[in-house]
This record gives sequence, structure tokens and C-alpha cells, in this order.
Amino acid sequence: MTGASTGASTGSRIRDVTGTVWAIIALPLIAILLAFGVGAVIILGSELLVGEPFDPLLPLTAYAALLQGAFGSFDAIVDTLVATSPLVFGGLAVAIAFKAGLFNIGAQGQFLMGALAAVAAGVAVSGQPPYIAIPIAVVAGVLGGAATGFLPGFLKAVSGAHEVVTTIMLNYIAISVLAALVSGPLKVPGSPSPVTYDVGNAGYPVVIGRDGHIGIFLAVIAVFVIRWLLYRTTLGFEIRTAGANPDAAAYAGMRPRRLIVLTMVLAGGLAGFAGVDVALGLTHQMTSSFGTTVGFDAIAVALLARSEPIGILPAALLFGAMRSGASLMQIKAGIPVELVDVIQATILLVLVATPVIRRVLHLRGTQNPLATSPTISRSYGSESVL
Amino acid sequence: MRIRPAGLALFAGMAIVLSACSSSSTGNAASPSATPPPDPCAGVTAGKAHTAPTDWSKAKIGVVTDIGTLNDKNFNEYSFKGAEDGATALGAAAPQSVVPKDQSDYKKDIQTYVDQGYDIITTVGFNLATPTTCFAKANPGIWFVGVDQSPICVTPQGAPDTTFACKGDAKTLIPNYVSLAFQEDQAGYLAGIVAASLSKSGEIGAIGGTTLCAPCVRYIQGYTLGAQSVNPNIKVTPAYVTRDFSAKAFQDQAGGKAFAENYLTTNPKVDVLFQVAGLTGNGVLDAACAKNIYGIGVDVDQYLSYPAADKCIVTSAEKKLQKEVSDALKAIGGGTAVAGDNTFNAKNDAIGVSDFHDKASLITADTKAKLAAAFAAMKAGTLTTCPTDCGVGPK
Repeated sequence: MTGASTGASTGSRIRDVTGTVWAIIALPLIAILLAFGVGAVIILGSELLVGEPFDPLLPLTAYAALLQGAFGSFDAIVDTLVATSPLVFGGLAVAIAFKAGLFNIGAQGQFLMGALAAVAAGVAVSGQPPYIAIPIAVVAGVLGGAATGFLPGFLKAVSGAHEVVTTIMLNYIAISVLAALVSGPLKVPGSPSPVTYDVGNAGYPVVIGRDGHIGIFLAVIAVFVIRWLLYRTTLGFEIRTAGANPDAAAYAGMRPRRLIVLTMVLAGGLAGFAGVDVALGLTHQMTSSFGTTVGFDAIAVALLARSEPIGILPAALLFGAMRSGASLMQIKAGIPVELVDVIQATILLVLVATPVIRRVLHLRGTQNPLATSPTISRSYGSESVL
Repeated sequence: MRIRPAGLALFAGMAIVLSACSSSSTGNAASPSATPPPDPCAGVTAGKAHTAPTDWSKAKIGVVTDIGTLNDKNFNEYSFKGAEDGATALGAAAPQSVVPKDQSDYKKDIQTYVDQGYDIITTVGFNLATPTTCFAKANPGIWFVGVDQSPICVTPQGAPDTTFACKGDAKTLIPNYVSLAFQEDQAGYLAGIVAASLSKSGEIGAIGGTTLCAPCVRYIQGYTLGAQSVNPNIKVTPAYVTRDFSAKAFQDQAGGKAFAENYLTTNPKVDVLFQVAGLTGNGVLDAACAKNIYGIGVDVDQYLSYPAADKCIVTSAEKKLQKEVSDALKAIGGGTAVAGDNTFNAKNDAIGVSDFHDKASLITADTKAKLAAAFAAMKAGTLTTCPTDCGVGPK
């Protein structure tokens, strides 16, 4: 008798759990599948336009090459993880701001400043032993990003200037500052093109395969640290409360201005860490056109992960894998790398249009989706935080 | 976690100061003697042992372009067309292309070709010089063709020289790396002759992408000397869109148009305008057309590649990218390839001005004679087309 009732409750619990899991992953999964579908249609459409013999299986060839390029061999998997690690840091940078109800579009600028500071410091200490050089370069990079994140946070706290506007502007300032310094004081004398010295011993050591550097592990650690920070500390509670209901947070005695600045400094530091990851782990030096789209891809990663630190890992892995597999896709299927952009953009579009998709597909979440993941619609124009 | 706002501001302020310090201190600390020579090839490994194929019709040919897009109507596109021609001539399958998304992709993209067992890998643009050198050194069985990467600067051990002392002889140290460079000043010189002959006001202009792009500067230096050879009193006013390698230099057509409009307001008498700025330069041509003055294109025959400005394009200063890339591939197949720096100029008919198309009636017999004479003198090596600071842009 008792056994039967336990069995029934276990069954319903399993159903509950699967239901919850489904509610969490349904939308991202649909977004991903839809995006790859759109990509396939575009490949077929472009085949018609190019006028080469029509191959209806080309999308499959392309996606197979993408998969093979990302996971087809040990080296490929390591490359994918290397491409994933900055996206993890970047995703966290955007996600933590989302949690506080802030939309940090400036991850790109913070990323660039972080990379620049890391390279500048790394070059200065490149002759020191690695255990001294690496921490110095990393700290410089994180501080560079944090300082860039501090500015929009400070401006919002004192004047209410919207962070969407100020962070976008700072992205451009960051590009110009980087170009000016790399073509100026940081340039190697005698070099025909603007390029800095190598960071030497400040470069991340390679620990797996031919270029699997320690940044991969730092990224995973960062995820759990941020998760702990958000859910196990007072600061995390305040950040989440301010994001969920700024009025309640103020009423409860929290100080939104302080939280805004602090969150943006944290976000900037994380984005700076992404820059450190690319600069010390991969490029080891910097040209004046240095720049990846990590800061922008990070927004998509954070949205896909619904701003949950744990969710950042699979989301970043998906984007990293697409980036990493794109070379082989270009070579084997002749599909340009822009297809990856199309897929990423479609994922983003579907996620932003969440309410519409839910209605069309009759999906029901366990909770109001906006309550669990503050997104653009919530954050944009929310000056009332003060 | 109670941090007072003041403390917070202090912390952030410190962060700014610290990062500023760290960047400025490197200006002084940039003495290479204090630091061990870093290895720019870190992470570059050889693929599976690769031997050049005996039957080149089975060769696999890959192209890595610079950031941007393959169909840029300019550098990337015509280099790739050259690889296509070369592959056809060898009887090999059509080449594949990879376009890096950013700087962090260069090594990975070349590595992918190496891992896939490609026989010839062509890389386009000076940004790829260092990774190409590394991979060529690590994979002696694979041929590498580099466009605009000369001079190859290596240490006596054959590694890329980050101090730019360039003591090593790339030709013997890396005998599988063919680097193609062009003497742009000669093409610019010919364009200058055309420009000076067409100008009624005695003032002509040139707009380059960035002062740091040595080929751009060479084009404009040659252009100035060529114009002065026709009219010693001509006023040539060069300008550069930017002084760094930002996207403004070569990828911003709208910005190029705005820059040229400003330029033409400041220099109202300029009646021939030469663009050396890639896609940005197409905007320069747009501005020239809008003001009803003549424009001169660059690198490829822009009358064909950029028809939107056909109204005003007189000619283009050309370097024959497509032909030379194709020839390099053929030479590799035929066993006659020459490693190291290969410079192309009038002597091998690799530079020139393109066809005048519908503006042919504007070009007098006298101008044509001057062009022919200058070209012949370049072939003979008796004509100076670049000043002593050749390729060095204004500070």
C-alpha cells in the first residue's frame, strides 16, 4: 500500500522534473532548431541564385562539416573549447547585468579594453617568470574591463543616462583607444604594420592538445563562482532583487545606485576577462584591428542561457562550436562563414520574440518567462530603477 | 559585502589609473633585450607528414583571405580568382576559400587546411605574414603563397622576427614559401601621368586608406612623381582617411564618400582624384562622380569592378594580382617556383594602368606616348618612381 503510493509520487515527481526541464530548455531548443532550418533554406536559396548544379543535400553536407570541424577530432574539440572560453566570460558579463535589470551592450568595449590592458601589462612583464607575469596581466585585463564597465554604471547612477546608450558609445571609444595605442606607444618600433610585442611569459600555458590553454578551466570556474555569488551571497540577492523589482529593492533598504555601479564593474571585469582569455590564450599580441565579435555574441549567449550561469556553459559551447567548425564548413561545403552569423542572429531573433513564439506554439512555461529572465523588453527604458 | 560608494569610486578610479599606467609604462619597457625572444609560432604544429604531389592535377588548393568578404571587388576577390585560374591551369579541382572572422582565426584557418592535407595554401594580405611564415616553416611539404607579405622577415633560424631585424634569408630557410609583392609606385606613376594630362586647374588629389599602409603610400608617391613628370608645377594634395588600421581605412564606403566630399570642399580646384582605399575608396569615387570630376581607381580595373562610378572613372592603377597568383601556382606545379620575396613590376608586366573604356577619346596621343615612354623606362630600370622614403607615410 505504502509502496504503491511512493511509486505513484515518484512517477509524478519524474513528470514534474521532466516538465520543468522541458519548460526551461524548450524555447532555446526551438530557437536553435529553427535557426538551423532557416540556415538550410538560405543555403538552398543561394544555390539557386549561384546557378551551380542544385544539390538538395548541401545543407546536410554543410552542417556535417560544421559538426566535424567542431567535434571531429581531439584537436577539433580542443579548438572548440578554446573558442568557447571567451564566450563563457562574455556571456556571464551580460547575464549578471541582466540579473540586475541592466542591459550591458558594452561587453564588446569592455572586452577590448580588457584585452588591451592585459597585452600592455603582459608585454611589460613578459620577461618575468610565468607565475608572476600571468597574474599581473590577468589582473590588469580584468581591471581594464572593470574600469570600462564602471563608466556607464557610474553615469547611470548619478545622472540616469541609460546604459544601453552609454555602453554602445563606449564600444566605439574602445575601438579607437585600442587603435591609437597599438599604432602609437605600444607599437613595435620598426614594424611595418602596427602590432605590439608578444606577451611572452604572460601567455597562458597550453595544457591540453596543441592550443588548449588554462583559460578553458578558468571559464568553468568563473561560472560556478558567479553562480555562487548570485545565489549564495547578500550581494547576489540584492542584484537579483533590484533586477526583479527595483521599487521593492529600494523599499527593502537596498541602494540601487550602488548596485548599478557594482554590477557594471563586475560585468566589465568579466568581459575584460574574456579579452584576457583571447589576448593571453590565443593571439599573444595585438594588432590595431584586434577585435572579435565575442562581446556581441555574448549577448546572444546570455539570452540563450536565460541569464543563468549554468546555462551559459552549453550556450557558449554551441556558439564556440559554430565558430570553430566554420573553417571546415567553408572548405568542405563552400558555405561562407556568414552562415554562422545568420544562424546566431536567427537564434537571437527567436529568443527576443519569446512571447510570440510561446503563443504560436502553445507553449506554457512554469512561470512567467519575463520573471525568470529579464530580457531586452524589460530592461530597455527602465530608468525607473532609481 | 558592504562597500561604500566612496570606496567603490576609489576602487574604480584606481582601476583606471592602474590600467593607464600599465599601458604607458610599456612604452619605455619596450626594450627587447630585457625580454627573452617570444615564440610567435606557439601552438603551430606540423600536420601529418606531407609530400608535394607528383600529379598536380590532384592537388588540393586552399585560400585564406584577410578579414572582410571574399567578393570585395578588390584584393581578396582577385587573389582568389588568381587561385582559380592557377588551379584550372594545373588541371586541379577548384580552390576552396576561408574568410577569417577576426584576428584570432588566422592560425586556426590555416591549420584547418594543413590538417586536411592541402598541397598549396595561399594567404592574402600582410596581416597573415606571421602565421604563414610559421606554418610554412613547420610544414616543408606544403607550398605557401603569400600576397603582399614581403619582405618576409625572419631570424637566422627561420622563425618570424618580432624585432624586425630580419637577419635570416627566407628564400633558403623556408624554401616552400613564395611571397608576391608589387611595386605599386610604378602603377601610381602611370596614373599620375594620366591625371596631370587631364587636369585643367593644375591641381590633382589622391586619397589613401591609412598612412600605415605602405603599398597605399607607394601608389600615391608614384602618382605624385608621375604627375610632376608631365607638369612640374602641378599641385598634388594627398590625404589619408585615417592613421590607423581601423575599419574606416578600407571597409567604410559611406565614410570614404563623406571624407572625399570634405576634401573636395577644402581643395575646390582638384579636378582629378585618385583613390587608394579599397571599399572606402569606392566612396571616394562616388564623391568624385557627384562633383563631376575625374576619378582614378586602384588595384584592379575598377571600371569593371565598380560600375556605379563608371561615369567618372578614367582608368585604374593596376597591379595584376590575379595573373601573378595564378602564375605562382603554375610555377609550383611546374617545379619552377621561386621561394622568398618575388617583386612584380613593369619588368614582368605586372603593373600598369587599365583600359580607358569610354574615356579613351580624352586621352591624347601625346599622353599615350608619355605613358609608353615611362613604361619602357621602368622596364629598363632607368626611371625613379618612388622617393627615398618609399612607402613611408606622413607622420
